[in-house]
Amino acid sequence: MSTASEKLRASAAEALACGRVSLVLGWRKKDFWWQSPVAFVEAAAEAEQLSFDPFSVYNPVKYLLEATECHEKVGVFVKGCDSRGINRLLQDKRLEREQVLIFGLPCSGKADPAKIRAVFPAQKIREVAQEGEELLVRLTDGQERVAAADFLLEKCLTCRHPNPVVFDELLWEPVPVRAGVDVSRFARVNSVAQKEILERYTYWARQFDRCIRCFACRNTCPACNCRSCIFDQAEPRWLGKASDLADTMNYQIIRAFHVAGRCFECGECERICPAGIPLQEMNRRLIMDIDKYFGPYEAGLDAGDSPPLGTYRGEDPAGFDES
Amino acid sequence: MKRTGVFICWCGSNIAATVDIELAVAAAKNMPGVVFADQNKYMCSEIGQEIIKEAIRSHRLERVVVASCSPRMHENTFRKTVAAAGLNPYFLEIANVREQCSWVHKDKETATAKAIALIRTAVAKALRNEALFASELPIERRALVIGGGIAGIQAALDIADSGFVVDLVEKEPSIGGRMAQLDKTFPTLDCSACILTPKMVEVAQSEKITLFTYAEIEKVEGYVGNFTVTVRNRARSVDMSKCTGCGDCMLKCPVKVDSEFDLGLVKRRAIYTPFPQAVPNKPAIDREHCRWFTENKCRVCEKICPAGAIDYSQEDELMTVKYGAIVAATGFDPKKLGNYGEYAYGKHPDVLTSLEFERLLNASGPTAGKILRPSNGRPPKNVAFIQCVGSRDKAKGNPYCAKVCCMYTAKHAILLCEKVPGARPFVFYIDVRTPGKDYEEFYNRAYEEYGATYIKGNVSKVFPDGDKLLVRSVDALSGALVELEVEMVVLANSVDARAGAKELAQKLSITTNAFNFFNEAHPKLRPVETHTAGIFLAGTCQGPKDIPETVAQASAAAMKVTALLGKDSLLSTPTVAEVDEKLCTGDMSCLVVCPYGAISEKILEERRGRETVRRKVAEVNMVLCQGCGACTVACRPGAINLKGFTNEQIMAEVEAICL
Amino acid sequence: MPVTREGFEPLIVAFCCNWCSYAGADLAGTSRQPYPSNVRVIRVPCSGRVNPSFIIRAFQRGADGVLVAGCHPGDCHYHSGNYHARRRFTILKQLLEYLGIEPERFQVRWISGSEGAKFSAVMNELTENVRKLGQNRKLRDAR
Repeated sequence: MSTASEKLRASAAEALACGRVSLVLGWRKKDFWWQSPVAFVEAAAEAEQLSFDPFSVYNPVKYLLEATECHEKVGVFVKGCDSRGINRLLQDKRLEREQVLIFGLPCSGKADPAKIRAVFPAQKIREVAQEGEELLVRLTDGQERVAAADFLLEKCLTCRHPNPVVFDELLWEPVPVRAGVDVSRFARVNSVAQKEILERYTYWARQFDRCIRCFACRNTCPACNCRSCIFDQAEPRWLGKASDLADTMNYQIIRAFHVAGRCFECGECERICPAGIPLQEMNRRLIMDIDKYFGPYEAGLDAGDSPPLGTYRGEDPAGFDES
Repeated sequence: MKRTGVFICWCGSNIAATVDIELAVAAAKNMPGVVFADQNKYMCSEIGQEIIKEAIRSHRLERVVVASCSPRMHENTFRKTVAAAGLNPYFLEIANVREQCSWVHKDKETATAKAIALIRTAVAKALRNEALFASELPIERRALVIGGGIAGIQAALDIADSGFVVDLVEKEPSIGGRMAQLDKTFPTLDCSACILTPKMVEVAQSEKITLFTYAEIEKVEGYVGNFTVTVRNRARSVDMSKCTGCGDCMLKCPVKVDSEFDLGLVKRRAIYTPFPQAVPNKPAIDREHCRWFTENKCRVCEKICPAGAIDYSQEDELMTVKYGAIVAATGFDPKKLGNYGEYAYGKHPDVLTSLEFERLLNASGPTAGKILRPSNGRPPKNVAFIQCVGSRDKAKGNPYCAKVCCMYTAKHAILLCEKVPGARPFVFYIDVRTPGKDYEEFYNRAYEEYGATYIKGNVSKVFPDGDKLLVRSVDALSGALVELEVEMVVLANSVDARAGAKELAQKLSITTNAFNFFNEAHPKLRPVETHTAGIFLAGTCQGPKDIPETVAQASAAAMKVTALLGKDSLLSTPTVAEVDEKLCTGDMSCLVVCPYGAISEKILEERRGRETVRRKVAEVNMVLCQGCGACTVACRPGAINLKGFTNEQIMAEVEAICL
Repeated sequence: MPVTREGFEPLIVAFCCNWCSYAGADLAGTSRQPYPSNVRVIRVPCSGRVNPSFIIRAFQRGADGVLVAGCHPGDCHYHSGNYHARRRFTILKQLLEYLGIEPERFQVRWISGSEGAKFSAVMNELTENVRKLGQNRKLRDAR
């Protein structure tokens, strides 16, 4: 077993054993090689189940909302992206810093199962493990080593903060930021923006037409942490029941607007969307405009700063005709 | 569904000529919730209003829609009408079918269609109107004035004169402020001290005014009518009740410090009053410089004091007082000239700021009123006055005009000629601005009677040349290069907001502009009020002003204060924000956009199963809230709503208007 | 409203701030500055009260153009409402255009209470621009 997982287990066991926390959130291995869901560890003896592998991609931070209701202090393992979720919750006053013990995990990216399946026959894969900068793919008939960088999730390819931005302990050395992320971060947005207006509409209509309104994008998003979401309210009915394109666009526009200036680009909404809607292309478009009009801003880096949509400057430029 | 009545006004032919009233009445009768619809030639007339009242009674109407002129015209009229018939006044809605329909559209068919749509929209909203009530609040009949310059003095005197109790808090050991530093005042040349000191004494003697000098504002809580303010009375180290103000201590104190009042041109002692006419005329010990506090020796003042008033053991005292209204009158600071090296300020003793020059003119100043060069103690012959130093300078100063410099420079030029026979003033200016009664005439005198030379041009450099100063500029009118040999240079440095203005604004929950001057509630129509109800502005803390303007604003602020304190109670606007605690997440997005500080955090205790859990929610202070609704949009879950313009109402209007 | 291209009459919903643009609309009336009856005004206390959801809902229910009109920067009756509105609608407008909604369909303007002529001019311009685009089907309910 990898030393990373061992370090997680040791840290969790120690924190639980000495009573610093009564719950630790991390990841565990499930039945299949690509499954590493969030684990809830309440006793030092259970820490053995923790695992940190190429698929420990879920952001455990959102579970803190419920976890801190019944636990005074919760330990949580966070990657760079996850840690910005902590700042998100702190800034939204949904969490107090002393309620969490944060173990930071510098992360050079998680693997995309689809990319692995594209190279190796899915039925033959037994396990995929991280070994340094390589993935060790164990197959039913042998094993192979490939460069981990070639199998990264889309969202990890454009990650600007692979190292946790808030933590109590860092479990290992920080990793370098990938080269070129500043360009790649907005590449997809720019390519959509370059289309003609009608083409853009057709592109998005085709995307949103697939939306089944499962609300997974909202449910996974640490920025969507309202006690009661407007989309669930009956009076006024902010969102219609009919699942036609207009209502879907209503939902997606307002969802994006509600996370504008607050989205910290973890990309989980897009990754888990069962319909494969490129939601990051909306979220990042808003980030681009916020940077352009109100000055560069990255959410989730400092819980003490002021999100751009709660503040203003008298001399702000307008994105419309001010004449 | 609420029983709704629709009343359509002809407004003579103003509406009826363009809108088919019969058709509109018929259409209204078919709208959801409408049980009655009628028309009248003038709905606002007594007969028209009677029709409404009668229909409310006979048809048991619960909501009323009047289709007429703009609500900005007759909303209040009709609110009173429905109230007279026993309904809550906020059960009324107006459909604006005159200004926004019949008067701007010509085609009767489309205008009628639009009028019907507007009525439908008003009905949709009215169905969701709820009863609204103004709440009543008590008022603390005591005022606080912050700052004891001429603005604060005038405001305090006027408030006291109206019979209300005032506390005047001043940071320095004496009141008087900037005006006390001046020699003469334009355009009349009367002596500043002669007109100011009687007012200072009046403050000290007023039974209604309590003076707190050497004191600062620590904390401000509460809201209009009910502020709770914590004031820090700094340890003076002198027992005010024993001190007789004889001044012996100040003569014997061995420590000499630059006098703030005289801008460092002379020294004061560590135990001091800022100036001879100080009110109160009792000294304070400057602990930063006092030998007892710095080196633990001396205690000369204690030995010399015949009244035994020296008390080294005094500590800062915090007092908490309730006030109904507050006037901020904290004044300005002359601009520091650190980054204006080209004028040789600080490098040559004969380059002075205008306020330093003012001290030279003053009979109680360092030279007893003689204009003498600091370098050699001899009177200057030629003096250059450079205007707009740090004003109207986007590059490294203030972009705004400091307003007073043109006038006091004319005064300086005149006084120079009067005090130093044969002296010649040269004024370098960008523009000469003299708006004000008798101001232009005063400026004319400076060059017509006294022969002051005005040169339009920016001075590029001042440099020492032997025992003189060389001023280099361009005469912008002729284009000629100007090089002038002078014995003294006076810089009209700009007016900055007072140091610490931003921090005080935060304590008061009032806003400032980019230069830390306090913002008035409206630049034209509410110039002495702030956005925080019950807090008013006087003088240069709001922006550069001269003395008459300052005094006028101070009296206006005092009037606002007395009008407020004279009320029996305060009525709040009923159309204010309201929090649905069930929906509130407690992230306080609403709080950050509220311009009135009307939103605060509240801890809610809830039963969950057997446990009591505590959770943070937002709370709206109904008095402070002015009903803008910015919070309602900032709130993602829609937990904060604006009464009278609720989400439900506006959504219903949108639905109805698009039908 | 009719939907044929030739006889097409657009529906314009205008959210107007009570203190400026709504007063400006009243002044347009008082001074008889005509504009098309396609424009229908919803009165709000401040442009900062306008929720993006209201705008989307208007498009859903058939508005062909939506306008938010508020006080000029610096003139907000409530001091800062229009500044917040400016930020919100700056990004909402960019987002709508990015999603393929024609920029003419969603407009934000500053119109003061003394600008009756401007109110009328803006409404004429907006209606004409939207009329040229034809009926809006994007964001519109299928029903």
